[in-house]
Amino acid sequence: MTDPTTGVPSPTAAGAGAAGAPAADEGHLVLRDLVKTYPGRHGAAVRGVSLSVPRGAMLAVLGPSGCGKSTTLRMIAGLVAPSAGSVLVDGKDVTGTPAHHRDMGVVFQSYALFPHMDVAGNVAFGLEMRKVPRPERERRVTEALELVRLDHLARRRVSQLSGGQQQRVALARALVVRPTVLLLDEPLSNLDAQLRTTMREEIRRIQQETGITTVFVTHDQHEALSMADRVAVLHEGRLEQLGTPQEIYERPASRFTAEFVGRANLLPATVVAAASAGEAAAAEVEVPGIGRITAQGASPAPGEPVTVLLRPHRVVLDAHDPDGGIARGTVLTAGYTGETVAYRVRVGGSGPELDVELPSGSHRPSAPGAEVGVSWQQGAARLVPAAPRSGGDAEAADGGGPAGDRDPRGGAA
Amino acid sequence: MSAAAPGTETGSDTGSTTAPGAERPAPGRWTPGRTAAALLLPGLVALLLTYAMPLVWVARMAFNEPLPGGAIRQTLTLGTFADVLTDGHYWRVIWQTVELGALVTVFTLLLSYPLALFLARTTTRWRGLLIALAVTPLLISSVARTFGWMAILGNQGVVNKTLQSVGIIDTPLQLANNLTGVVIASTEIYMPFAILVMISGFGRLDPELERAAASLGAGRLAVLRRVVLPLTLPGVLTAGLLVFVLSLSGYVTPRLIGGGRVFVLATEIYDEAITALNWPVAAVLSMLLLVLFGLVIVVYTRLQRFVERRILGERGAAS
Ligand SMILES: Nc1ncnc2c1ncn2[C@@H]1O[C@H](COP(=O)(O)OP(=O)(O)OP(=O)(O)O)[C@@H](O)[C@H]1O
Ligand SMILES: [Mg+2]
Repeated sequence: MTDPTTGVPSPTAAGAGAAGAPAADEGHLVLRDLVKTYPGRHGAAVRGVSLSVPRGAMLAVLGPSGCGKSTTLRMIAGLVAPSAGSVLVDGKDVTGTPAHHRDMGVVFQSYALFPHMDVAGNVAFGLEMRKVPRPERERRVTEALELVRLDHLARRRVSQLSGGQQQRVALARALVVRPTVLLLDEPLSNLDAQLRTTMREEIRRIQQETGITTVFVTHDQHEALSMADRVAVLHEGRLEQLGTPQEIYERPASRFTAEFVGRANLLPATVVAAASAGEAAAAEVEVPGIGRITAQGASPAPGEPVTVLLRPHRVVLDAHDPDGGIARGTVLTAGYTGETVAYRVRVGGSGPELDVELPSGSHRPSAPGAEVGVSWQQGAARLVPAAPRSGGDAEAADGGGPAGDRDPRGGAA
Repeated sequence: MSAAAPGTETGSDTGSTTAPGAERPAPGRWTPGRTAAALLLPGLVALLLTYAMPLVWVARMAFNEPLPGGAIRQTLTLGTFADVLTDGHYWRVIWQTVELGALVTVFTLLLSYPLALFLARTTTRWRGLLIALAVTPLLISSVARTFGWMAILGNQGVVNKTLQSVGIIDTPLQLANNLTGVVIASTEIYMPFAILVMISGFGRLDPELERAAASLGAGRLAVLRRVVLPLTLPGVLTAGLLVFVLSLSGYVTPRLIGGGRVFVLATEIYDEAITALNWPVAAVLSMLLLVLFGLVIVVYTRLQRFVERRILGERGAAS
């Protein structure tokens, strides 16, 4: 069994490995090397995804459009047959079990409510299939509708509900059967921003109240970071990284994750010397145009190229003392967004350009052309492994994936 | 680009059609409503000449009095109606017409439904070709197809010859020259219509709904019964209406395969008008056929409304 995250030389990957392969058998829901190739398509939609979700946890599957999130979810639900790999629930292999025997609740992106039944009819459907006697059925339907705060609309036709209400009916319909696993496919993508925030909290509340192991697909990083216990970042059908929201954001294991989750400055650099090893690994690196800086994270041997990640909001600009910071910079553009002021700053005479985000009101805004001192806190600069998927490349060949596609990204800073 | 301009004009025209009703336009002015009327006129005239006028003429004929030798006395009498409705022979004809229609409709729907369901749901890129294949029988005249069925179902036909040579039967099965043969041939002849109507009526079908049902624990049969069937019922009903009506007025198949032993309204009307030269009786039978059509439409509308109510969710949790 190959864990795609093994072999990545960073503490994050080590953490992911611990949650993935070795602990796999302890997870409530376990995916092992799931592969899906759709007939008549070049390349696989999912190229060997292995991960594990602990009992009662909420996992967000995060990735750009077309990366295979829905396909992965449908394989878990038994709605799409995997080309290879297996799905385990409670240690039992359910790969060959048809969907209607899997006992998983699914909330579809389009809700897929039955148009010929009313709200209560939709919610009762799963109970009828399970031959739950009528009095209990009615009681549980009422309970489920109370849970999603829709008990007053039980007799309403589903076509006469708002998007948010339909979404809650879909959630109640999936929850009422008390499934072993709850699967949500971008349940919030059709809602407006305000309703989305409300529903995020509501889904999280319900998930914690019921304690159902949940997998939740989204392409919205805020949703993933704010709702989930764990986040799996998917890219081109492969697992980029698996970790807690903090790990994903603060210690991305690849350039892709660093750029996809949050905003990022990615600076090419060269290792000078490893400053320390182990848990608090750090290295001294040479960044062209900035000079030598210290960056957190395990590093390859001196002389090797690396990438340094600097989050825009961790950078500080000092307009009074241009020479007092780590480097001297020139403001190129300044944009007021309300909560923050977004700057673009050129470091040194011909150095790299940095995105910088400062809270508005905390400083006197600098105009384009102003000279500023650029600095950041110890630990804000982080090394991103250069070859993030050395362990997964063998699988890439199997899946016929465009392994060469990833190379050009080296120069995109 | 040049095509877009007239298009947008028409769009704004139709948008303002409600306005002229409120404030009457000047008599000489050209309005969208008048354009519509002008466009409708040729069709209306054609319909009047080819449909309404003959119909009125037939209705009028039903009140004339037939005289021996094919002569007709122009009058206004209900005598022909009374003669027809008190004659057991005509009631048997009406009954057989309805019976044939019902049998053909049931068999056509049963055989067409699985095919239509498959064609509506399949994702293969051959779908278009398969649908075309399903309706290719329409390219051949139903007269030719009926003769084909005579060759298959007759005493010396393919079916009987095969069964006899295999030794399953000794005497030929009576598959032609009776109602059985007419039902078999009619079913095949109306199936393409039924399939086409069903496919276009299965719009509510959504594979995601079937997946949702499966994820809730519904096996294939339960999905079919609880999701697919209710959602396709309107399409099935419309197909049923079409087949029933076509069958009620069908002439060629009952005549040829019935072998003179299957009497339905269409063949009876022909015989009265052409052979017996009794035009008033033929006209009365035509009127009775029209009444049958009216009844069918009433029943269909009722059923349709009943199904729609269920489709739209009148059905509750505790069903
Ligand atoms: N039924 C199918 N047949 C063929 N190809 C498919 C099918 N479903 C998905 N694909 C392809 O597989 C890839 C992954 O699709 P998937 O739906 O899993 O993506 P996704 O991550 O859910 O994207 P999105 O965020 O847009 O929903 C895409 O390239 C898609 O075109
Ligand atoms: Mg999707």
